Amino acid sequence: MGVTCVSQMPVAEGKSVQQTVELLTKKLEMLGAEKQGTFCVDCETYHTAASTLGSQGQAGKLMYVMHNSEYPLSCFALFENGPCLIADTNFDVLMVKLKGFFQSAKASKIETRGTRYQYCDFLVKVGTVTMGPSARGISVEVEYGPCVVASDCWSLLLEFLQSFLGSHTPGAPTVFGNRHDAVYGPADTMVQYMELFNKVRKQQQVPVAGIR
Amino acid sequence: MSGVRAVRISIESACEKQVQEVGLDGTETYLQPLSMSQNLARLAQRIDFSQGSGSEEEEAAGPDGDAPDWAGAGADQDDEEGLVKFQPSLWPWDSVRNNLRSALTEMCVLYDVLSIVRDKKFMTLDPVSQDALPPKQSPQTLQLISKKKSLAGAAQILLKGAERLTKSVTENQENKLQRDFNSELLRLRQHWKLRKVGDKILGDLSYRSAGSLFPHHGTFEVIKNTDIDLDKKIPEDYCPLDVQIPSDLEGSAYIKVSIQKQAPDIGDLGTVNLFKRPLPKSKPGSPHWQTKLEAAQNVLLCKEIFAQLSREAVQIKSQIPHIVVKNQIISQPFPSLQLSISLCHSSDDKKSQKCAPEKPGQEGHLYVLEHNLHLLIREFHKQTLSSIVMPHPASAPFGHKRMRLSGPQAFDKNEINSIQSTEGLLEKIIKQAKHIFLRSRTAATIDSLASRIEDPQIQAHWSNINDVYESSVKVLITSQGYEQICKSIQLQLNIGVEQVRVVHRDGRVITLSHQEQELQDFLLSQMSQHQVHAVQQLAKVMGWQVLSFSNHVGLGPIESIGNASAITVASPSGDYAISVRNGPESGSKIMVQFPRNQCKDLPKSDVLQDSKWSHLRGPFKEVQWNKMEGRNFVYKMELLMSALSPCLL
Repeated sequence: MGVTCVSQMPVAEGKSVQQTVELLTKKLEMLGAEKQGTFCVDCETYHTAASTLGSQGQAGKLMYVMHNSEYPLSCFALFENGPCLIADTNFDVLMVKLKGFFQSAKASKIETRGTRYQYCDFLVKVGTVTMGPSARGISVEVEYGPCVVASDCWSLLLEFLQSFLGSHTPGAPTVFGNRHDAVYGPADTMVQYMELFNKVRKQQQVPVAGIR
Repeated sequence: MSGVRAVRISIESACEKQVQEVGLDGTETYLQPLSMSQNLARLAQRIDFSQGSGSEEEEAAGPDGDAPDWAGAGADQDDEEGLVKFQPSLWPWDSVRNNLRSALTEMCVLYDVLSIVRDKKFMTLDPVSQDALPPKQSPQTLQLISKKKSLAGAAQILLKGAERLTKSVTENQENKLQRDFNSELLRLRQHWKLRKVGDKILGDLSYRSAGSLFPHHGTFEVIKNTDIDLDKKIPEDYCPLDVQIPSDLEGSAYIKVSIQKQAPDIGDLGTVNLFKRPLPKSKPGSPHWQTKLEAAQNVLLCKEIFAQLSREAVQIKSQIPHIVVKNQIISQPFPSLQLSISLCHSSDDKKSQKCAPEKPGQEGHLYVLEHNLHLLIREFHKQTLSSIVMPHPASAPFGHKRMRLSGPQAFDKNEINSIQSTEGLLEKIIKQAKHIFLRSRTAATIDSLASRIEDPQIQAHWSNINDVYESSVKVLITSQGYEQICKSIQLQLNIGVEQVRVVHRDGRVITLSHQEQELQDFLLSQMSQHQVHAVQQLAKVMGWQVLSFSNHVGLGPIESIGNASAITVASPSGDYAISVRNGPESGSKIMVQFPRNQCKDLPKSDVLQDSKWSHLRGPFKEVQWNKMEGRNFVYKMELLMSALSPCLL
């Protein structure tokens, strides 16, 4: 349990997604990070069914149901800017029952998969974001284990990020600012992933350089 | 008539309900028809009893003359009373009627009297004073008789009381025993689970209700022990309640954990002697049921621990397989080291008493581990108990509560792994044994070094509070008398299960294995470094100047342990220099450099003609260190430095 920063890494000029990921992982291995298996974060979008919207004409909110291999027994359900529910994996079965209220958006499944690296107190996960068959981008997650207050260790995280991301180092995630000096939790990580996925989804119109 | 067909005529009452009145407009008001009981009452009203009796009177007047002989008495009576005048022969119930009538009359009178008396207005009831009987006999005789009678009554009462007393005295003992049995049973019931099966009372010794899964039934039987000879003196510790314990739980048992340095002969395996602890002088007779039951329960728990350990010993795959022989489990935590866990169960039989007494020199118990085994099995019990704790959400999977909460509380991989640790009893106890052994070996190493080497000194500060798998010691290397200035070497030794982690004062971490030689070598090299550090500190205090300093000298003879360290310091005036080289094995070598002008035997150089060159330092000369005065290295060095410094006065 630590503080996590999730960011998107742009694809390097003239390289494919795969090559950029390899470049990053090689950098990490050079640093001395230890490979520790793989990780996977997936996200499925549900929208509220038309029958339940009512006559008020309110817009249907989107709900994201996510899983993270770091929390293998949990299932996260998030609304944009809304609450985050953490449940056990039986929640997926419940969603099937709630078909009348929440309908799964077609071909909305987006996920990131990659390798998990341990470097002292840092846990680094470099993954390829895929939507359907095509790779859309690169996600970089860095977790600093010993601390749970984001503001206390952000500069440390930033320094570490700079060491292998170079010029692509991200700014502080918005979730850090939401609750000042509050304890960072798994839900905050999932919110960051949700934002990342949304960003990647919006990108899809613009063809990403390097994907052929 | 015959020719005419029969005509049916329906007859009905003109009006079912009687008309009460007919209104002027012709409407009829009807009377409600009478109910059965009202009808009967109406009919009864119609009977004219007086008329009836009058007719009887008339009738009676007729035959009066016909049968005057048998009805005469009745008639006379009738005449007298003037109430009932009828012929009894005509009515068989007349006597009954008569009696009833008279009874009614008397009842009525009585009722009236009583009601009047109750009002207490006109009449009150007073007891009637009867006249005493006229004394027929003389008062003396009467007195005598009455006295005699009362005395006899008193005597009878006394006799009866005495009889009752003697009976109660004899019965008292038995009753007391009976009562005691019940009160004892009540006390037993407060501490142990009892149930009645048939005409027996059975109790439960097992830890099943606490979560044990050990299949031993562990029942005992409660026996009433009241058939004791009342005439004999009752022994002091007599108890009317006794318990019958299963034969395999009798006696006393304990788990013995010990670590032996050398592997014993294979012939010795499994013959752990059930040596007798000096038994407390138990009084003759059976012990109290409570102690008996507690001992039996302890035997049961020891058996369970041993069964669990031996099951794990067989299941667990380890590099060196654990050996289970008879009542002993042998495992090798470290090479040439043997951990033996044995179940010692001594029953009070004659057979076991013949056992040879244990040699007192044997490695002692590891009481801590024995205690921890008991703790661990109880923890294990608690785990099995808490896994089925209610209430439980209907949708959640069965299992441990923490496991159930791990989903909604988003536990990460490490936390889940820590929950799922399926480390068995044996693994835990072996780890603890390893730690205890490593700790004692470290302590022994430090102590032996401290006693062997006087200069510099080693101080070890052990922490009082330890984890079962980790403890720490702080090692200080100092020189006697110079504790304040020589504080450079402070080591924190974290003793784990397999290895010792040394944290240096400057943050370096060195990991040592369980071999004591490593620790010893490390400490020796640290001590050698300490001397050089001490010289450095001393130079600072004395005003000498450090020219060079090296912890690891690359020159000179190679040390078998670590590296030699060296320092060169110059005197405040710069005339003299002292060079110290200290190796863990080769020891210290101290050289002093003199100014050129003090060296007589120095050959005249052609180059250095000028007198100013004579201030240069010349060659080194070794100091015969062991001939120096002083109680330790630093003191000697201080003396040397002060000898070489020019007197300021």
